[in-house]
Amino acid sequence: MSTTTSETSARAHPPTAGATLPAQIPGNRPTAGLPFTRLVHVELRKMLDTRAGRWLLIAIAVVIAGTLTILFVQDGGEHPFSEYLQATTMPMAILLPVVGILAVTSEWSQRTALVTFTLEARRSRVAWAKVTASLLVGVVAVAFSFALGTAAHAAAIGLRGATGDWELAGTVWLGAAGYVLLGLLNGIAFGMLLRNTPAAIVLYFVLPTAWSALGALWSGAEKAGRWLDMNRTMEPLFTGDLSGEQWAQLGTSVAAWVALPLAVGMWLITRVEVK
Amino acid sequence: MITLDNVTKRYGAFAALDGVSFEARPGRVTGFLGPNGAGKTTAMRVVAGLTPATSGRATVLGRPYATLPNPGRHVGLLLDASAQHAGRTGREVLTLGAILTGVDRRRVDELVDLVGLTEKEANRRVRNYSLGMRQRLGIAHALLADPEVLILDEPANGLDPAGIRWMRDLLKGFAAQGGTVLLSSHLLNEIERVADDIVVIGHGRIVAQGTTDELLMGSGTVVRSSDDAGLGAALVSAGVGVNPIASGGMLVDAAPEVVGRAALQAAVVLLELRTGDQRGLEEMFFDLTSDTAREGVAA
Repeated sequence: MSTTTSETSARAHPPTAGATLPAQIPGNRPTAGLPFTRLVHVELRKMLDTRAGRWLLIAIAVVIAGTLTILFVQDGGEHPFSEYLQATTMPMAILLPVVGILAVTSEWSQRTALVTFTLEARRSRVAWAKVTASLLVGVVAVAFSFALGTAAHAAAIGLRGATGDWELAGTVWLGAAGYVLLGLLNGIAFGMLLRNTPAAIVLYFVLPTAWSALGALWSGAEKAGRWLDMNRTMEPLFTGDLSGEQWAQLGTSVAAWVALPLAVGMWLITRVEVK
Repeated sequence: MITLDNVTKRYGAFAALDGVSFEARPGRVTGFLGPNGAGKTTAMRVVAGLTPATSGRATVLGRPYATLPNPGRHVGLLLDASAQHAGRTGREVLTLGAILTGVDRRRVDELVDLVGLTEKEANRRVRNYSLGMRQRLGIAHALLADPEVLILDEPANGLDPAGIRWMRDLLKGFAAQGGTVLLSSHLLNEIERVADDIVVIGHGRIVAQGTTDELLMGSGTVVRSSDDAGLGAALVSAGVGVNPIASGGMLVDAAPEVVGRAALQAAVVLLELRTGDQRGLEEMFFDLTSDTAREGVAA
């Protein structure tokens, strides 16, 4: 660490510097920008390389295991597969958006945005890489929860003698996956809009409660909630069969709580001063 | 090469930077000096594209930072050593940088070693780092992708004397290889010892800039002679400013040679002839910023 250079002249460059310099990288400096896949790779790694990120995913797995255990024990495990699927999907749909929120807001709360946006100055690409990486985590998590649900139902049949009921439309799988991923996007959008961890998490969790509280007090809010309360508009996804009106309601709420905050958040991220 | 051209940054009515222009050239260490809140950090952040300038233009290697392809391979930045995720290990911070910039991951080990972090320290989480360790990690991160420009904000903060000396050698070596170094500091002696060029900022304005030698050049010539009055008159008639020194002799606004020739012509015997005392950067710094510094006339 310390050096033994004798300093003959304070401002002259010594022919051999007293401190070792890192080896120079041979070849020309790059003229091409960072490939998007590399940005996604780094964002994925950043979700998993801190205790906070890892524990959040572990917590989700523990909650899912818990709900499945309850189903497995309750009533001799006598439940149709669709209930097992819902038992794994619902807790994930509630908690996974926090992963999306943190992927964005931790850059600001931990102030790593300073480094992130100097290594890739095209900030919207970083933001899209975060969206992509979060969705990849979401898809893997959904597949994992489906597998767990399947295993739990099979185990209930095999170990507890429950009657098998695998009856499930293919669209239900898609609907359940859509339910989780839309919630995740909702979280990311709030994260980008607010860039503040507590604010984004509170907004994400308080909003559905606010809808039901308002709806109970005022019929106008109740009516609006049919079109704007994502908790309600996404519910039919679990049936795997949506009417035209339900699609319109789902689309409206997603536009209001996913597309709009995501667009405004993207716009803000490319313009704000990174502190 | 870093160029700021008439950069102004306003927050409402407050001008954090007011028409700032300067250059940091390749092969040289440029010291950026100023009291707290003078605008050093803001200027560096404008260069790195983190703070949008209200007007004016800042470029690195001839282009705006935002248009640099894979900027980490061109510019190494250390703007705030504390701006790292507290929950990541030092090694992980560097690994992320290596993946992103596309450099060989073996450089992570090389840099950990080079900045004097031990294997054990590198595997510790950043929240457990001292400020000095964070600075070392930040310097490793800045050098990771072999940049040709270094921009370091107060890098000597928190380093022990041996560390400060190491950093000085490192920056000089980097510049000697043809790199551009811009470093800010309020440690005047440190800047004086490492910088080839100095830019002094106060209240968002550049108050002085030039080579370190120029800025530190002694102020005129001190002379004592057998006939100060006669020599003084000869010098004044030659159009050179003369100030008597209370303890005897004169301070002349000219090079020693001019004074010597004047003495020869006036047939005055010189008793003492030397360049004026180097005032030192510190004094100049206080002179230049005394009206803008928070402490008023300090020192």
